[in-house]
Amino acid sequence: MKSTFLTVLTTVLVLTGCNQSDSTQASQGDGGKKLVVGATMLSMQNEFIVNVNDEMAKQAEDAGVELITVDAERSALKQVEQVESFIAQKVDAIIMNPCEVEASSPAVAKALAAKIPIINVNSETSTKPSAFVGSDDVESARIAMKFIADKLGGKGNIVMMHGYMGQAAQIKREQGAREILKQYPGLKLIAHQTAEWDRAKAMDLMENWIQSYGSGVNAVFAHNDEMGMGAVKALTDAGLKNKVIVVSIDAIPDALQAVQKGTLDATVFQNAEQQGSKAIEAAVKLAKGQAVEKETLIPFQLVTKDNVAQFMKKPE
Amino acid sequence: MKNTIDPYLKPVRESYRTRVSRLGKAGIFVAFIVVCVALSLITPRFLTVPNLMIIVTQVSINALLAFGVTFVIITGGIDLSLGSMVAVTGVVAALFARSETYPVVVPILAGLLSGLLFGAFNGFVITRSKVPPFIVTLGTMTIGRGLALILSKGRPISNLSDSFNFIGGGQLLGVPMPIIILVVLFAVCSVILRKTVLGRYMYAVGGNEQAAKASGIQINNVKMAVYTMSGLLAALAGIVLTSRITTGQPNAGAGFELDAIAAAIIGGTSTSGGTGTMAGTLIGALLIGVISNGLDLLNVSSYYQQVVMGVIIIGAVVLDSVNQK
Repeated sequence: MKSTFLTVLTTVLVLTGCNQSDSTQASQGDGGKKLVVGATMLSMQNEFIVNVNDEMAKQAEDAGVELITVDAERSALKQVEQVESFIAQKVDAIIMNPCEVEASSPAVAKALAAKIPIINVNSETSTKPSAFVGSDDVESARIAMKFIADKLGGKGNIVMMHGYMGQAAQIKREQGAREILKQYPGLKLIAHQTAEWDRAKAMDLMENWIQSYGSGVNAVFAHNDEMGMGAVKALTDAGLKNKVIVVSIDAIPDALQAVQKGTLDATVFQNAEQQGSKAIEAAVKLAKGQAVEKETLIPFQLVTKDNVAQFMKKPE
Repeated sequence: MKNTIDPYLKPVRESYRTRVSRLGKAGIFVAFIVVCVALSLITPRFLTVPNLMIIVTQVSINALLAFGVTFVIITGGIDLSLGSMVAVTGVVAALFARSETYPVVVPILAGLLSGLLFGAFNGFVITRSKVPPFIVTLGTMTIGRGLALILSKGRPISNLSDSFNFIGGGQLLGVPMPIIILVVLFAVCSVILRKTVLGRYMYAVGGNEQAAKASGIQINNVKMAVYTMSGLLAALAGIVLTSRITTGQPNAGAGFELDAIAAAIIGGTSTSGGTGTMAGTLIGALLIGVISNGLDLLNVSSYYQQVVMGVIIIGAVVLDSVNQK
């Protein structure tokens, strides 16, 4: 028994040893070993986050870096614990996709105290990390609401679907939308309510609003595409879609398809690939002791029927 | 199953059922009417045919789950895996409903089969291991969520066939399909509970498991049956939801089990087992739907909506218990 186990162990060690010597061009730290980056992601049930992480994994492989990804499952507490375990494992850099602005902050402080560079990707914490890679959520809502204002000629009734109340993305997207609303006194926000980022809940909510306001609604702004798609479905069923503009954020594949078909009027593209690749780039540089930009902002892009083709991926 | 025990069981069941139907159901029914009248007085948009259709359509998914969990709670059990079963079965159905590759019965049968297996697994573990249903279904809740994510690779499955999307989005003679499904299943579940031996055994097992055992009821068979039915009904809910939103969502149905259990309890099903009716559960589900619709019509802020919902749920149950005394 014991000897079999030892044989297996030795084989594994030899094999991994071989692997390491093979990858001569791989990124190496001071000690000459392969760099290890730990990543804790908000939720691997979220399509956008999965896309960011896929790109991180790809870039890490290209750079010869070992990437360990863990799922925080939307729990800031779990996220802090995961960062603690990365620190204990003495990884070379940490990438965190924060669950919450405040509650995920202790993780940043702990990593910095252990002198391990930590990069926030996609959203922020109140404690400043070594570097931030992401996009400004306020801007995405400004772009979406500006599109509505232009389409309506600055006059009309708008309803807004919030994400989960109190989450950073919801707060910022509401803030951006309200900034634009202030610039156009002709635009009236007649109702706003949360549909918790959820397509089915958004459909229920839109159906109820249609009962309330009938054709009195001119435009819907939803904080994400899932909800935007729910609103489109409810409006289509009620035969009102051609009278109401629907705009949402994220540019998920479903939404891009809907923009192409003309059912969803516009979405805002947040570049998951660039966020993922820039995060790995920053992690590798920081691990090697090189300087990086404190803040890398990836710009958003408005997606309408005119330019949707360039955002659509080829089917897998 | 043996018929010899019927003379013994019948009086026990009748006495309590009369009590529940006369007083308990009246209590929740009164609460329901009060809320409806209040909403009709506050807003003219509430009591219109299209709005009532929308409420019942929105309620259908929760009601299907609530019917299943009513069976389970009557036997003294609980099923926390409902929401995850909605996700798994919805994803399975969606995988077979992409484009027009298969006739529409294939995704429906695949979804139902996955729900049946999931429910039977719950029942199997509960009856064989003697671990409390709360723990077992808490475990399968997580397993189910994981399975849904694995099967869908973490991404929504869209581009479903038109024939599949008809189940949740279509209409028959002007009546939305989910309403028709709801009415049919309400009738079926009521008959199972009231007119069949199995229904009688459910009350017996939940009322007093030892006595039921002593009188020769195969307790494990009854439990297997209720968890399997719960799985089947959850699958139907999953299929309706997937079809309604025209995508299979691995994260769909999170927290649905709580709404379903709330509907059953508001409707007079006792968490200690042995009590409950399908009519009560249906009213419970409708009450939750009416409140949610009404608060949206009145444009009540989302913060307050949650508080109001909680207050009304507790209020309904208090009214119910006062009425039963």
